[in-house]
Amino acid sequence: MNKQYSRRNLDFMLKEVLQVAELTKFSYFQDYTPDMFDMVLDTAEEIADKILRNAYVSSDRNQPQLINGQVKVHPAVKDYVKAMGDAGMIAATFDYENGGQQLPTVVNAASEMIRGSANNAFVMFTGLTAGSANLIFSFGSDELKEKYAQRMVTGEWTGSMCLTEPQAGSSLSDVITTAFPQSDGTFKIKGQKVFISAGDHDIADNIIHLVLARIEGAPLGTKGISLFVVPKFRANANGTEFNVDNDVISTGIYHKMGQKATPAMHLTFGDKDNSIGYLVGEANKGLSYMFQMMNEARLGVGMGGTYIASAAYYASLEYAKERPQGRKLNNKNLEEEQTYIINHPDVKRMLLFQKAVVEGSLALLLECYHWQDMIHALGKTSEEAKPYQLMLDLMTTVAKTYPAEMGIKAVNEGLQVLGGYGYTEDFPLEQMARDVRIMSIYEGTTGIHSLNLLGRGVTLNNGKAPQLLFNEIMKSIELANTFDELKPYAEKLEKELGRLQKVTMHLLSIAAKGDNEAFLADANLYMEFFGITTVAWIWLKQAIVAKQALITQSLEESETSFYESKIHTMKFFYHYELIKNYALATRLTDNTLLTVDSEKLGVFQ
Amino acid sequence: MKILVCVTSVPDTTAKISFTDGDTKFNKAGVTYITGPYDDYALSRAVELKEQHGGTVTVLNVGEADAEPVIRKCLAIGADDAIRVNCEATDSYFVATQIANIAAQEKYDLILMGRESIDFNSGVVHGLVAELLGIPSLSPVMKLDIEGSTAKITREIEGGKENLEASLPLVLGCQEPIAEWKIPNMRGIMTARTKPLKVIEPVGEGLTSTDKYELPAPKGACKMILAENAEELITLLKTEAKVL
Repeated sequence: MNKQYSRRNLDFMLKEVLQVAELTKFSYFQDYTPDMFDMVLDTAEEIADKILRNAYVSSDRNQPQLINGQVKVHPAVKDYVKAMGDAGMIAATFDYENGGQQLPTVVNAASEMIRGSANNAFVMFTGLTAGSANLIFSFGSDELKEKYAQRMVTGEWTGSMCLTEPQAGSSLSDVITTAFPQSDGTFKIKGQKVFISAGDHDIADNIIHLVLARIEGAPLGTKGISLFVVPKFRANANGTEFNVDNDVISTGIYHKMGQKATPAMHLTFGDKDNSIGYLVGEANKGLSYMFQMMNEARLGVGMGGTYIASAAYYASLEYAKERPQGRKLNNKNLEEEQTYIINHPDVKRMLLFQKAVVEGSLALLLECYHWQDMIHALGKTSEEAKPYQLMLDLMTTVAKTYPAEMGIKAVNEGLQVLGGYGYTEDFPLEQMARDVRIMSIYEGTTGIHSLNLLGRGVTLNNGKAPQLLFNEIMKSIELANTFDELKPYAEKLEKELGRLQKVTMHLLSIAAKGDNEAFLADANLYMEFFGITTVAWIWLKQAIVAKQALITQSLEESETSFYESKIHTMKFFYHYELIKNYALATRLTDNTLLTVDSEKLGVFQ
Repeated sequence: MKILVCVTSVPDTTAKISFTDGDTKFNKAGVTYITGPYDDYALSRAVELKEQHGGTVTVLNVGEADAEPVIRKCLAIGADDAIRVNCEATDSYFVATQIANIAAQEKYDLILMGRESIDFNSGVVHGLVAELLGIPSLSPVMKLDIEGSTAKITREIEGGKENLEASLPLVLGCQEPIAEWKIPNMRGIMTARTKPLKVIEPVGEGLTSTDKYELPAPKGACKMILAENAEELITLLKTEAKVL
């Protein structure tokens, strides 16, 4: 398998658009020099080259098996987690005191792009381990940090997130797993968790589950949920070894459509009344703790949509360059040899669509990670960091959803480029199409995120966050207006920004009347509108940098071509995607509520 | 133990090869450079030997400044310091002269390098260095252990392997599976920038220059001939491929 992502594009984003070298001027990142960021990406490339890529197909064909209560996964998973642990990359972004290296998250995301495009399923193991260790470091006691988190960041043990229950998926307020207080301060955990990714396997000596449960007698709803560390094996009586079975049983394994290398488990806690959990932080605050991790994980899911779409784009591009079929539409001469399919406008459209989605999604996500780094750099509680925090809170949900939803469409177009071959196991597109499908479901479905964006995000702090974001967009528009080639696109974006504001005001006026059903009925379409508009902004931002390079630098041919392709793809996005806003705005300002009324009219028969 | 590891900075194996200046220069534009894969194995074994026996590992590159990211990576993997001889590596003898010049001054117990580079693949530098220093050279070494001042070596020979012992100092051309590949870890990356990298000027001048590079002829299209049509195959080999 050949190229699955563009290192040149990552360099463009990190060095030219986001100028991450500037981060090293802040004390939090002062131990880095820009060349060290290159080395981190080189390390990711080595891990991808030597472990991940080779196992991508075989780990799909040989999916995890639950045999006699024990899950066996593909052996290369162990190699991958070990390599990541040895390289110190599981927790690279953590503070020094927590075993990390204070690597900017934007560089870590670029590393994930490299690894994930090679094997998206394996990356889940280290992502979940980092997320659960980070929860313990953020809110757990020193004892929990020392006993568990320190052994997770090295990859010796792995972690899992146990949220969903059979009756509580999107609605976590209905969690019923129960924690019974014990006299020694521990809790006995009883309940079931479903869809637990990497919830059991044979690659590490212990698995540390971060479990949401309700302490016996706690209030109903989200205010009664607490967070617990529940290891697969707990410490023996004198605390020297972790070899006591903690009554966490693998009841079942889901046979999924994609991402088959990562087992999704049905876990039962306390079937023998012997599953001990340790409270993380304060009682009843579990969900707010978990949301910290979930926000990070949401960006990670957006990355998932992006890196799978990237791998699909390069696979279909390679095929399109090599597959002769038919002749150019203006050429009727059958004596001539067939042309490569990349020469057909519709194939080019599919490829450009993929490129626009992949590089647009990546740019949006890296912008968010860069805001996260600015928050670290400026100090989480400082006034200067607040605008970044507000924009991050607003955009996390968009940066999860747009790449997830559009990643699915992009991979689908990639498969289409291959025609019948795309539907076979001889090419990786069918696997990628299965793998990417989960991204709009993980960490909150698109429906839930859309409710969050419209119902909460745009109005939070009296609408301060969208105001800050729009100011950033206006800065790009003003800059783009100084280039003749970009000016028409700056004008288009300004018009769409106005349209977004009008639509938002219209919907908020419905909310003001107290009709939430009507207000939120088409939140999903509002999310689509918001995503297209912000990705259009991020494309304009890239085009500005590309245009500046073309004007001010003496470039090699390949570099000229790179920058020109950036501007061309930006134009494609505006001419083929941004125009969809017109239809979306028409629907969103139309008061005919067909979905709200459909049930009582007896539509679904 | 004092170990010198000679590393090359070479185009990634997937790089698109093209030339400039009337096909007299390799076109570096857009090409990713990596540590020579065989050199990588040599470095990995050197780091392991240092962990077992103590001592130092110095990395040496004969090349221009654009090789420094590769050198820094070697430092991140575990070398203690590095030397770059600031010149274009024009030919094997010139490169060997630079290595021998430094080795003669520093008295290394082991001089390791890949069995060959993967750009020009001459595979003779280790032999030339040893000759210039007047010490033994062995290649391709697949296994290396050190006991006292004796090296226990397994090398690949035609149709099999040869186990032998030799006294230090030695020059060895290495290949897999001499060590497990190593990747730079975060701590290594953090410390690499503070490790010394000395740049020195070359001695003497290269003996060769490149008149012209030429790419191999592109591969022809594959034609499938049914097994029962051997006659057709022979005709095509005679008339089209012209190899019979």
